[in-house]
Amino acid sequence: MSSYLIRRLIGTVPVILVISLLVFAFVHLLPGDPARLVAGPDATPQDVANVRQSLGLDRPLWEQYAVFLGNAVQGDFGISLKTRRPVIEEIGERLMPTFWLTVVSMVWATVAGLLIGVLSAVRRGRWQDYTGMLVAVSGISFPSFWLGLLLIDAFSVQLGWLPTGGYGTWQHFVMPAFTLGLGVAAVMARFTRSAFADIAREDYVRTARAKGVPERFVVWKHTLRNALVPVITMVGLQFGFLLGGSIVVETVFSWPGLGRLLVDSVSYRDYPVIQAEILLFSIEFILINLAVDVLYALANPEIRYK
Amino acid sequence: MAFKELMTACALAALAAMPATASARTLVVGVQDNLTGLDPTNINDTLSQTSLRTVYQGLFGFDRDMKLVPLLAERFEASDDATEYTFHLRRGVKFHDGTDFDAEAVKVNIERLANPENRLSRRSLVSMVDRVEVVDPATVKVVLKEPFGAFPNNLAHPGAMMISPAAIAKHGKDIGRNPVGTGAFKFKRWAADTFEVVRNEDYWKPDLPKVDGVTIRSVPENGSRVAMLQAGEAQFITPLPPEMVTVAERNADLEVVKRPSIVGWYVAMNTLKKPFDDVRVRRALNYAVNKQAYCKVVENGFCDPLDSPLPSLLRFHQAQEPYAFDLAKAKALLAEAGYPNGFETEMFGKNNTTAMRAMQFLQQQFAQVGVKVAVTPLEAGVEAQRIWSVAKPEDATVKMQFAGWSSSTGDADWALRPLLASTSFPPAMFNVAYYRNEAVDKAIQSAIGTADADKRAGFYAEAQKLIWQDAPWVFLGTNQLLTAQSKNLSGVYMLPDRGFSLEEAAFTN
Repeated sequence: MSSYLIRRLIGTVPVILVISLLVFAFVHLLPGDPARLVAGPDATPQDVANVRQSLGLDRPLWEQYAVFLGNAVQGDFGISLKTRRPVIEEIGERLMPTFWLTVVSMVWATVAGLLIGVLSAVRRGRWQDYTGMLVAVSGISFPSFWLGLLLIDAFSVQLGWLPTGGYGTWQHFVMPAFTLGLGVAAVMARFTRSAFADIAREDYVRTARAKGVPERFVVWKHTLRNALVPVITMVGLQFGFLLGGSIVVETVFSWPGLGRLLVDSVSYRDYPVIQAEILLFSIEFILINLAVDVLYALANPEIRYK
Repeated sequence: MAFKELMTACALAALAAMPATASARTLVVGVQDNLTGLDPTNINDTLSQTSLRTVYQGLFGFDRDMKLVPLLAERFEASDDATEYTFHLRRGVKFHDGTDFDAEAVKVNIERLANPENRLSRRSLVSMVDRVEVVDPATVKVVLKEPFGAFPNNLAHPGAMMISPAAIAKHGKDIGRNPVGTGAFKFKRWAADTFEVVRNEDYWKPDLPKVDGVTIRSVPENGSRVAMLQAGEAQFITPLPPEMVTVAERNADLEVVKRPSIVGWYVAMNTLKKPFDDVRVRRALNYAVNKQAYCKVVENGFCDPLDSPLPSLLRFHQAQEPYAFDLAKAKALLAEAGYPNGFETEMFGKNNTTAMRAMQFLQQQFAQVGVKVAVTPLEAGVEAQRIWSVAKPEDATVKMQFAGWSSSTGDADWALRPLLASTSFPPAMFNVAYYRNEAVDKAIQSAIGTADADKRAGFYAEAQKLIWQDAPWVFLGTNQLLTAQSKNLSGVYMLPDRGFSLEEAAFTN
């Protein structure tokens, strides 16, 4: 198992290198001159030239890339063009809020999604199924932007129970985590239901039932366990998406997270921050994929030796 | 006994009187964006600049009508040719680190900003300075390389605020994260989206500040910002989006405040390009737009039509005869210029909601006289490339540009020179109309060549008249600034340049 893990870890190095090159290229292909934007609307050309020089943007691209890569390896992602603080600090400050929001959302969404999915599958065609799927479909189609504002109006403005936004106590998590997790819960519910339904048709489930295994046992041990394998993939994918994709929720709830930072940085052409953030998201995806594969490998030893 | 009773009565009276005095609390302000930095000499956005006015002060400042007021300088004298300025400083002012504010501090600050090697983005404010001389601790003389009549206004700009020289020496480049000024509040913390300052107990203005501190929090979503105010988590929010005004007005605990601004909105027409090279066409388009309707549609009515290239609150503004809404006149002018059936053209502008609404409105207005406009919203970076980075005027692709401008020095110079002087063609500055009129250039140049306010007023009157006649822009309007606040908050107000003043903030209960 450990040799499999090491093999996989080494395999990610070239992938990350390629990503870093692509990220660098894409960011520098964005139209617009960051020096112009940094210098601001009433800067003179002299000011702009000063800024460009001080940011090293007047150097050839390959040189900028070499510097970027060399520093990145040492954990130095440069200085934000916008705030002139180290990128690592900018990101570090926002990493944990986004991480915890994602984890909380993922946990409740996975648990709720699984329960609704299993219930719908077991009670297929009955009211539990219809209710479950109705909730799931609304969860997917609800714009989180609108839902967020609705929640704020109800629970902060009218009732005064929860803060409108920001980050700090557990109360701050309730509404954003609910809003962010709803879509995931819905996807999970639908996914679990169909995976569960597929497995329920398998021969070994029928055999188990025929042998007289109690229904509870058939559902939890034989069916759910096998249905979980594709569900794990789904969890991994959704987790990755949430980490990078909570932009709308972070905006509505003024959550000091990575999603908002990315939007701000793109509109400001804050190259160092964009580069570091996309790189970070890519590495997160790679690590999550790796974790999913390891979980598979644990479940099915055959995979390890391929 | 009687004495004791008297004491008790006094104590009771004092207790009873206490709730009537303003209770000190922390003021929370909800804003749209994050701050970009804490070194005033090296930032460019109004929000960061105005937020830093809690910590820093300049030799001069602006009052609520954008008039120049003395702050750390009590008064000044200028030589007739506007090349020598002597500033008399306020005595007894201390920086937050306990060091004295004096002539030496002014010298350090101006020289730091003027030194090209420091690469500070606000250098242009003092780039005309030749040298700074300390006359005595409370007097400093600044000698300019060339006449510059708007110099005190430049020093009132937040980019020229005074930083503690001791702090500059101690923090070096990190001064942008450790602000030390003379203002009413001391810096406490700046993280991701929150800027916090606390009361300066030794502030030089008596009885100020009245609140314990100020927290400025970025809440980008309009709806959330209003909710924050409604829920009592913030006591002042800016901006209040026009469509939220009715919501806020319905709430008995809130007050909506409308204030005039110095942000002028216009459509620049590229006067080097056909058909905009013909003044009749440019005037026709000015007659074709219903400015009142523009204000209603684009700014929900919170706006006043422009009556000069200078918004009315700017120094030296002089009202001109408006281009009244007159389609017949517009059509006649177009026909006279050889475009009886109008023409097709393109308009650039930003891609935010308000700009797009404005451009669509203008599209509809121009269509009434046969002018078909293709609207092209541009994202900031693309705009920078298409409009600002064009090296030669003849390569410019811009035909029309919807834009707004706020003269951050409160002076006519920074409203006219960057936008309408022929030395300001992109990429030098922002004359997107590529407008060139030698008489205007001369007036603008002469006006900064003197410190005599009357003479300057005369030159600017001339410039405004000529620009208005030449119509390089479709003159639109100045929007009002909308904010909302708790009824129990007083002393907070917006400045016409979209900044705010928090120094006198107080709670009434």
